[in-house]
Amino acid sequence: MSTYLTFRILKGFFVVVLISILTFVIMRLMPGDPVFLLLGDGQISITQEQIDAIRAKWGLDRPLIEQYFVWAGNLLRGDFGESLIRAGVPVRYMIAEAIPVTLTLNAFALALALVVALPMGIAAAVRRNSPIDYVTNVVSAFGIATPNFWLALMLIVIFALQLGWLPPFGLRTWQGYVLPVLVMATEEMAILMRITRGAILELLPQDFVRTARSKGMPDRRVLWRHVVSNALLPVVTVVGFRVAFILSGTIVVETVFALPGIGRLFVDSVLRLDYQVVQSLVVVFAVLVVVVNLLTDLVYALVDPRIRMS
Amino acid sequence: MSPKSKEPFFARRLSRRRFMKHSVYTAAGVFVGSQGLSFAQGSQGGTITWMGHQEVAGLGPNDIGADVQASVIFNVLNPLIHVNHLTDTEMVLARSVTLSDDQLAYTFELEQGVLFHDGSEFTAEDVKYTYETYAEAGNTVASRFTGMREVEVVDKYTAVVHMDSINAAFLRQAGEVPIVPRAYHESVGVDGFRTAPIGTGAFQVESWSPASATVLSAFADHFRGAPLVDTIRLDVVPEASVRTIALLTGEADATVWPVSVEDNLDFMENPDFRVVITNWNSPRHIPLNTRLPQLSDKRVRQAMMFALDRQRIVDELEAGFGTVATSHLAPHNPYYTSDVKQYPYDPEQARAVLEEAGWTVGSDGIREKDGMRLSFTCTTISGDQTRRPMAELAQIFLREVGVEMLLAEAPVASILQGMREGTLEASLFNWTMGSTTDPNPAGTIGTGGGDNFTGFSNPEMDALIAEGLSVVDPEARKPIYERTQQLYAEEMPALLLHYNQGALVFSNELQGLPEEISNSLPIFYRMNEYSKG
Repeated sequence: MSTYLTFRILKGFFVVVLISILTFVIMRLMPGDPVFLLLGDGQISITQEQIDAIRAKWGLDRPLIEQYFVWAGNLLRGDFGESLIRAGVPVRYMIAEAIPVTLTLNAFALALALVVALPMGIAAAVRRNSPIDYVTNVVSAFGIATPNFWLALMLIVIFALQLGWLPPFGLRTWQGYVLPVLVMATEEMAILMRITRGAILELLPQDFVRTARSKGMPDRRVLWRHVVSNALLPVVTVVGFRVAFILSGTIVVETVFALPGIGRLFVDSVLRLDYQVVQSLVVVFAVLVVVVNLLTDLVYALVDPRIRMS
Repeated sequence: MSPKSKEPFFARRLSRRRFMKHSVYTAAGVFVGSQGLSFAQGSQGGTITWMGHQEVAGLGPNDIGADVQASVIFNVLNPLIHVNHLTDTEMVLARSVTLSDDQLAYTFELEQGVLFHDGSEFTAEDVKYTYETYAEAGNTVASRFTGMREVEVVDKYTAVVHMDSINAAFLRQAGEVPIVPRAYHESVGVDGFRTAPIGTGAFQVESWSPASATVLSAFADHFRGAPLVDTIRLDVVPEASVRTIALLTGEADATVWPVSVEDNLDFMENPDFRVVITNWNSPRHIPLNTRLPQLSDKRVRQAMMFALDRQRIVDELEAGFGTVATSHLAPHNPYYTSDVKQYPYDPEQARAVLEEAGWTVGSDGIREKDGMRLSFTCTTISGDQTRRPMAELAQIFLREVGVEMLLAEAPVASILQGMREGTLEASLFNWTMGSTTDPNPAGTIGTGGGDNFTGFSNPEMDALIAEGLSVVDPEARKPIYERTQQLYAEEMPALLLHYNQGALVFSNELQGLPEEISNSLPIFYRMNEYSKG
């Protein structure tokens, strides 16, 4: 087990280093100079001397290799550097400020999605072609097909504008979380519902289920002990897989609801060529995905004794 | 005039005529009442909330270039003078300013008894420190101090700015840079200051979350009296439709960045709101890379102007909020003139001019000359849903006379660099040419100017610019700048589309707004004057 873990950690480290190099190169290949964005969209006259001075201040005048090693060396010491756009603000503060927002949203959304999707998926599979199955199919089709941008705006119109129950944006109170969580949960719910239903439908005709039934085991016990526990494997896979989409999946929701999360920070930083922030965010997420993938594999072992490590 | 005058904030305005005569600007000016302002003394409590679309990346003098940031910063930090909502110069921390006969020394008499938020007193030393610190290369406001040599502290309340060369734009450009407290700023540095600023403004920073909200609380010892509300708050709401809903639900009282044109029309019919419509400082325009052979002939550029049905762009894409542009300066600019070459929509005239210039229609309908196609690419900002449709409509108009304008998108940083370096062929802007603080022709239309995105180079224009910047008297400078506009309209290095009008929405809950407004952003600089109804 320890050999396996060591191998996976080393492999993960290698992946993160590669990603950091790729991100650095891609960001520098992007045309444009962040200096121009500091000048108020060209409203202030600027001379080449001033541009050079600003570039020198940020170390952008140094060779690219040197820039990479300076950044990577600082990163290994836990120093993410300073934002170019929010000059004076350490990148780690920016990430520390944004991550809780995104993680909270995702945690609540995932919890809500699981609470709703698992029972509905199971019920739909067990009562295939019944009204509950049809409802589940319609709900999951709606969740997958509906653009979250549109859904978010509709919910704002209904619950903020028409009913006045919830704020249209922001996180000033706990009510601010309700609509964004609902929007994010809708898609996840739909996916998990389909996967749960499909997995159970695949397991129900299996021999071990028939055997369990023939032994006189009650249907409910067969379902929970033998079917659902096995059906959880693909669900765990998808949940782990979704972590990689935290960054991209929350961008729209964070923009519409004006939430200062990691998705918005990432997009804004890319558009403004805020190199330090983008590079640091990608590395943080690369580490996160590597760790979660490792944890997912370990959870497999817990869920499925067949692949448990000896 | 007592330094602690009972006249509230910005009561003193700078007279251009007096300025013309290089006379001492007295603190007399225009009383608030004459500007249609009305408010009661003493705090009435409450919170004013307004919204912007972009994060507030910093709160220091270097950050005043972006509108959303400026709307916050000028409530925390005060400059010596402001260009106000009527596009007039107003005294703020300066009581008066005198220009020497040789036009190389500005003497600022300062307000007395003004306190910074940390309790220290504002003096001429702070002016000297601020100007000399932020004039150093590496600061984004450094070019506002072009021509400045040093600041002399004559006494506690008098500072003299000595110039190496005459810079007619100095007062309205440098004068707007907010003053920082020397002792505190020295201890935290430029970058530290922009994250935790201390100023003489009517509000002090309570909390700052760049991507979500900045909250300011009233500074009771403000030199023009305590603000009428306890707190003001800027919320960052990127999505225009959500800003609209927030206004309708009462979540916010105003927006410093416009909502959609369609929503503006609805708000104009809603009795609970006031919609302030003002011209933007610079027309929407398509800067052309005049260094390209196919765009270097002014007849080609003139023909394209005739080919564009600009009124249709205003009607269809701006819902009528705008007027066809004739000059690169906006009509509310004090130097504006309409006495320039006109380009009415006339496709036949466009075709005739192109034929005269030797561009004949090729087999694919696109004109050619010496084997070169009359084709170029206009790069708009990625995801810009406002300007991209304008480029698409312009593309159709140009195609009708045999000019091919291809479309592309890129991030704004790429466009600014590409146009500046001449690697892009065209774009679609509505900035750069007409700052209300003062036109900056050297940077935008002068040869080699840092923001000369068209690469335009004309000896007569350069001579006019140099002459204009050496004449401080606005009346004497006006004919010079009128000639620059005539020359620009003749050469047309950018296709001028229209003066678009910004419509900002204010809830009627917000009371005390000026009656007359020609320049909308400074409305947000004076939040201390407003109350909640």
